[in-house]
Amino acid sequence: MAVVTSRLVRVATAAIALAGCSSQPKSPPALTLAPDAVRLAAQATFGPTVAVVRDIEQRGAAAWIDAQLAQAPSDLGTYTVVADNVAAVCPTGSPSTCYRDNFTPFLTETAFFRNALSGPDQLRQRVAFALSQVVVVSGAEVRPNYAVAEYEKLLLRDAFGTYRQLLEDVTLSPAMGRYLNMVNNDKPNAAKGTEPNENYAREIMQLFSIGLVQLGPDGSVVTDGSGAPVPTYDQNAVIGLAHVFTGWTYPLQPGATQKTHNAAYYLGPMVVVASNHDTTAKVILGGTQVPAGQTPDADLALALDTIANHPNVAPFIGKQLIQALVTANPTPAYVARISAVWADDGHGVRGNLGAVVRAILLDSEARGDVKTVSTYGRVKDPVLLLTGPARALGVTTDGVYLAEASSALEQPPYLSPTVFNFYPPDYTSDVNLVSPASALLDSGSVFTRANATHQLLYAPPGRDTSVTGSTGTQIDLGDLAGYGADPGALVDSASALFLHGTLSSAERSKIVDAVNAQDASDLGARVRAAVYLVLTSPQYQVER
Amino acid sequence: MRISRRDVLSGLSLLGLSAGLLGSRRARAQTDEYRALVCVFLFGGNDGNNLVVPVDARYTDYATARGQQSDGGLALPMDQLLPLAPATGAASYGLNPNMPELQQLWNSGALGVLFNVGTLVAPTNKADDAAGRVPRPESLMSHQDQQNQWQTSLPDRQSRTGWGGRIADQLPAASLPSLVSVAGNVLFASGATSHPLAVPMAGGSTFGLTGFDGSVGSQAIRAAMTALRGLDLDNALVQSVAGETAAAFAASGALSPVLAGTGSTTDALFGSQPSVLGRQLLQVARIIEARSVLGATQQIFFVSLGGFDTHNDQINRQSPLLAEVSASLAAFYSATVQLGVASQVTTFTLSDFGRTLAPASGGGSDHAWGNHQLVLGGAVKGRQTYGTFPTLALGGPDDFTAQGRWIPTTSTDQYAATLARWFGVSPGDLATVLPNVGRFPSEDLGFLG
Repeated sequence: MAVVTSRLVRVATAAIALAGCSSQPKSPPALTLAPDAVRLAAQATFGPTVAVVRDIEQRGAAAWIDAQLAQAPSDLGTYTVVADNVAAVCPTGSPSTCYRDNFTPFLTETAFFRNALSGPDQLRQRVAFALSQVVVVSGAEVRPNYAVAEYEKLLLRDAFGTYRQLLEDVTLSPAMGRYLNMVNNDKPNAAKGTEPNENYAREIMQLFSIGLVQLGPDGSVVTDGSGAPVPTYDQNAVIGLAHVFTGWTYPLQPGATQKTHNAAYYLGPMVVVASNHDTTAKVILGGTQVPAGQTPDADLALALDTIANHPNVAPFIGKQLIQALVTANPTPAYVARISAVWADDGHGVRGNLGAVVRAILLDSEARGDVKTVSTYGRVKDPVLLLTGPARALGVTTDGVYLAEASSALEQPPYLSPTVFNFYPPDYTSDVNLVSPASALLDSGSVFTRANATHQLLYAPPGRDTSVTGSTGTQIDLGDLAGYGADPGALVDSASALFLHGTLSSAERSKIVDAVNAQDASDLGARVRAAVYLVLTSPQYQVER
Repeated sequence: MRISRRDVLSGLSLLGLSAGLLGSRRARAQTDEYRALVCVFLFGGNDGNNLVVPVDARYTDYATARGQQSDGGLALPMDQLLPLAPATGAASYGLNPNMPELQQLWNSGALGVLFNVGTLVAPTNKADDAAGRVPRPESLMSHQDQQNQWQTSLPDRQSRTGWGGRIADQLPAASLPSLVSVAGNVLFASGATSHPLAVPMAGGSTFGLTGFDGSVGSQAIRAAMTALRGLDLDNALVQSVAGETAAAFAASGALSPVLAGTGSTTDALFGSQPSVLGRQLLQVARIIEARSVLGATQQIFFVSLGGFDTHNDQINRQSPLLAEVSASLAAFYSATVQLGVASQVTTFTLSDFGRTLAPASGGGSDHAWGNHQLVLGGAVKGRQTYGTFPTLALGGPDDFTAQGRWIPTTSTDQYAATLARWFGVSPGDLATVLPNVGRFPSEDLGFLG
């Protein structure tokens, strides 16, 4: 009902303006929002809305987070199961939508954006999005859309579980198996001269769990006597693990016969063919011996336990979650506090992601009304530069525009160019600070971002007839819609919602001047001008 | 009459000023003519073992180790390889069959091949490596680290500058940045004081604001944007964003018509539907064509192609990528010929690492070390190979494992130094650009005239 009321007020306001009344229409008083509630919403959701901020204000941060941790995943949709064969599914002459809908994650991305805008499980989605940038699977190589969707549902489901469980589910996911070649990974074949594929063995350690060099609990690099970083593993550990990961193949499609290499199929976990598993003894991470003659499952469990229990996992993954949610350059003490929660959630459970996320968001380095440390914060992901304005400004959408814009902004969800994500976690910006998302902020993207913001505000695309059920994208400027007649209150409200009230008086006056230069009879244009300037300002690009 | 720097320099020498002054870091030694380096990065680790293959007696070693394709192996049939014949005598090597355009450029003398180059802390060999007498590069065989080290040529330390950026640090300030990337912010093009301009590929996004007109309201918004990026820069990340934004707006006016293809005469050379790499190289050609208008005299470009991490199904995956490399490099070379700058533009490849000679399960290959690279341009002493070809034996004298991972016999430092010297970096500045180059026997591999 609140939405309806504010819309009626706006209609009335516009009518008065059009009638040319001499007395200025009254704007409501500027929004006042608790700055730290807005910051928490920016860290833990796809963008603050007045409703979410009020919810946080009323419950308090901890209770709000606990309620979020209890939220079930939003539905990412059900998609047609197709053969992993473009030529067979979309033969020459098929409509172009055949490929787009079945062999790119486009439809799943539209669901991602719909859920990001309106799903109640904001924190779960936000953490799953962060995880999707750590344990990366990309539709660039895993082409069936339903396969990518299954994988992302896995991340949503496991977002607040243990990291050990996540690692196992990821390892046995056929999408991951296809992406990093653990599926149909044969035991050594002397006759053919082939060796087990090393791809997944290498990346599960390098990217998904422990990283390349030994770390202290605070994330500091352990060095040897000569000051060189101490590696976490060597090539022999990669080779040993590659042998552990032999014998697995795609899940059995209904009606098919089990083979050494099942046909590509992505529902359910991979299955193992024991005769294709290497049963010799292996040496893996940290010199751990995997005895000869074990079952494939026993080999796998020992390997995953060894990896998940390595002390690096807490600082390596924990720090990346801090960087994804709060700040790109956390203090070592912050990382150490999170590593302690990773080691033990208070109930003896290691790697409890829900507890880790809660600790990250409730840490003193995350909370507080004002952050003045000059290195604090994180450059926003392009996805958040799309969802943040859309959530705050009353956008209704089928997700099509946002999916397409995310591609233009070089961060289409689930479509990373490589397993190394859209940017490396240690990317160093020109100010010599770690800033992963700065890798996507270059002189060219300065314009694509501003222009995408302009399109959302001024000309959001309508219905796309090539997409079933498309409704297009509409914007009604949400809680800022009623402020067109009062530039001061307008800019203050935008500052409260988008910048948790940090706009300086100098910046405020520049934006107010620009609003006053707009057509006074077009109150919507005045709101758009103010919002465009806030959203394209360097301040808004950094969440802090 | 405009006085060129060469005139000034020769005048100075007549006055008897010391060569030391002339060799100062802001002066370029040879000449005033325009010069450009174009780095083509093949992301993922291109399998050089199937880029250039011996076609002499060593082919048997190759075919045995790589295995038949019908068995999940990777050997290219001898009769498919494109002979790389030297000026006289029989060919010792053949090029990947998907690269006929580059074979023609080899025959015309514009293409050279550099064997087994890689990241090296210092010269090493199998015995020194096994005994740990020479440290290996940090995180050998990790994509991210080896991509970075090829771009920094500093495999023994972390660096936030690349060697392209460090070359640009030596250049005089120009109205347009000397470093232009058509592949985003890359380490190669980041210097201590230099920062790349990142531009969209041809047919890509608009390098400027859209949606504004000359109205009072539009002008007010644009003026406010300019003002806002100069205010309240106390947060370092905000400052970084503001700097990037300011650089983009400063370049947009002059560059956006060039990037949109206005006045370009080379578009047709890239075909009606250019590839991803072709669209990047077309953008480079457009900028080179507009060099006088843009006031550019020395430029370093970066373009890239991904997808070379061929752990499985390599034959089917690498073939179209190499075909794209061949067609787009040839189109770009033709563009430089048409623009009259073929001998002033040198194009060269980099890649994460080479790949194992032995096939991996699934018809692919795994991460390795040394690799072969291509150099192209009118100044290249082409139709020749450089460096030392490895012995294609699993566990052999060049393999530090049992799967065919070559210990490099030429370092990225030497490769980069040869390019940098040609580009105009003075011998005295080489150690600044490439701090480790003095560890290696030669700073000039001889492939540039």
